[in-house]
Amino acid sequence: MNRGSCLVWVFGDYGDYFQNRVTLQLIAKGKSLAAELDTRLGVVVLGEDIGQYVMEYAAHGADVIYAADHHALKDYDVELFTAVVASWVGIYRPEIFLAGATVFGREFFPRLAKRLQTGLSADCVALEIDKESGAFVQTTPAFGGDLLADVITPQHRPQMATVHPGTFRELSHDPFAIAELIYPPVPELPPRKIEVIRRRQERAHKASLKDAKVVIVGGKGMGSKANFEKLFQLAEILDGEVGATRPAVDAGWIGEERLLGQTGKSVRPRLLITIGTSGALQYTSGIQGSETVIAVNRDPSAPIFSVADLGIVGDADRIVSLLIEELNRRL
Amino acid sequence: MHIAICIKQVPDIAAVRIDRERMTVVREGVQNIINPSDYQALSLAMALKSKIGGTVTVITMGPPQSEEALREALAAGADRGILLTDHAFAGADTLATSHVLSKAISRLDPAPSIIFCGNNTIDSDTGHVGPQVAEELGIAQVCGILDVQAESEQTLLAKRMGERYIETIRVGCPVLFTVRKEGGTAILPGLGSLQRAFSAGSIISWDKEELGLSDDETGLAGSATRVWRLRATPLKIKGDIITGQAQELVQAILRKLESMSLVDEDQRHE
Repeated sequence: MNRGSCLVWVFGDYGDYFQNRVTLQLIAKGKSLAAELDTRLGVVVLGEDIGQYVMEYAAHGADVIYAADHHALKDYDVELFTAVVASWVGIYRPEIFLAGATVFGREFFPRLAKRLQTGLSADCVALEIDKESGAFVQTTPAFGGDLLADVITPQHRPQMATVHPGTFRELSHDPFAIAELIYPPVPELPPRKIEVIRRRQERAHKASLKDAKVVIVGGKGMGSKANFEKLFQLAEILDGEVGATRPAVDAGWIGEERLLGQTGKSVRPRLLITIGTSGALQYTSGIQGSETVIAVNRDPSAPIFSVADLGIVGDADRIVSLLIEELNRRL
Repeated sequence: MHIAICIKQVPDIAAVRIDRERMTVVREGVQNIINPSDYQALSLAMALKSKIGGTVTVITMGPPQSEEALREALAAGADRGILLTDHAFAGADTLATSHVLSKAISRLDPAPSIIFCGNNTIDSDTGHVGPQVAEELGIAQVCGILDVQAESEQTLLAKRMGERYIETIRVGCPVLFTVRKEGGTAILPGLGSLQRAFSAGSIISWDKEELGLSDDETGLAGSATRVWRLRATPLKIKGDIITGQAQELVQAILRKLESMSLVDEDQRHE
């Protein structure tokens, strides 16, 4: 390994616990990319009293941590963070720079890429170094997820990408891991133009869907709102939560807060039962962290079966009704 | 108050089919529409205009047919449309697209106090263009808003979805908002706006020269990223796929749940 260089960077997004996990996932992926490029993996973390995050990133595999501990950076702010991180990129010149496609990541990374006059790919589902050309290939869903586009950034640096949370798996926690900690100079900061004057917590089940050990997902194939609502009975019996695909949300059967996939949430349950969902990549990118997937669909050629451990070719509503009946009988 | 909105004409993606054998995108019979979150941005802009007055300018970059999207926006109440069209603009990534849009916006007189964009398009779905226009113009950005109200002459209150919170944000002008698709209301065109939509002179067209852009700043040449290849989403089979009577299928699910210790084994059948 080239001890001096650290050319693969990850933005340390600790915005809340779940965002923190995406940073850990990217550290794991970034580390394997760095190994292929014979360099080290760095994490950039900005804020006030960030010691706990520095420790967390080191324990999960970061080789170098670039930190700014500054009162003015206490709260996330796109323009302030852009000013600091752009100046650090100018100093250290990383080749690759990754961030989670979180609410902040989606807002911050495009602005940073523009300031750096470089390319950015959105919501990647795979990242790899092409063996033949050595190019950093960023795979992103296209045309509503039916196609995958492999995007490259031939000339401009760094090569930037956002990645959907849950796409990669984090490394295990090693309390004895050692990382190099650097405090690069903080440039003069622009004024803060945006003031958050109120925060209202969303309904509590949002978090519980992300944490659920069992998730039941319904799609357009449920057929009606009444059929869809049976999924809540099933979820209750299995002590799980209900999620939905975009067509089911658009049909008005369920609220946006239960949407899974690229424009919704990602889940990583022990068991996911997906019913009447065709399996568009925009949806499956949000469930790929699931340990076991059971899919029910009437169409044996539905793409959802490609991600299922058990595929059931049958009528969604009939299967759900029978399953509830059978489980109730056993209680 | 001058409000500018960037919109994009997109294929109605739900109707687009992929021919997996030929690896082509089948667009036949597919309608072009105003990108849904851009339409929602237009709706917020019109609501703001009705409260505080001012003019609304709609801007789009695209092939000549994108004029349809501008006419639709005029019918919804916008005051004028600007079509940015040139062969040299084709093949642009978000870096090059945001450059052309920013150049056009900086030519507007008076400079807009508020700029709206949709949060993301349904065809390429990057969500980059809004923040990148804000960066080039050097103004504040607030992304993913659901609603916005004028608080005073110079400040606005916007509501947006955070990771776990709904946030209320105070921001001064000039500012760029990107708007989420959800929670919108359809705009009913009035007679006056319908007339304007089809009157001459309500839409102007700017090309590369008009905007003072060189060849290497726009389109593919001005882009940092390249699409290296397109491929179909892999259809590989991971597990077992079973067919049969519904009752047998349900038993297969139950066996799986038992094997994961999620349900107790059926006592009565043992």
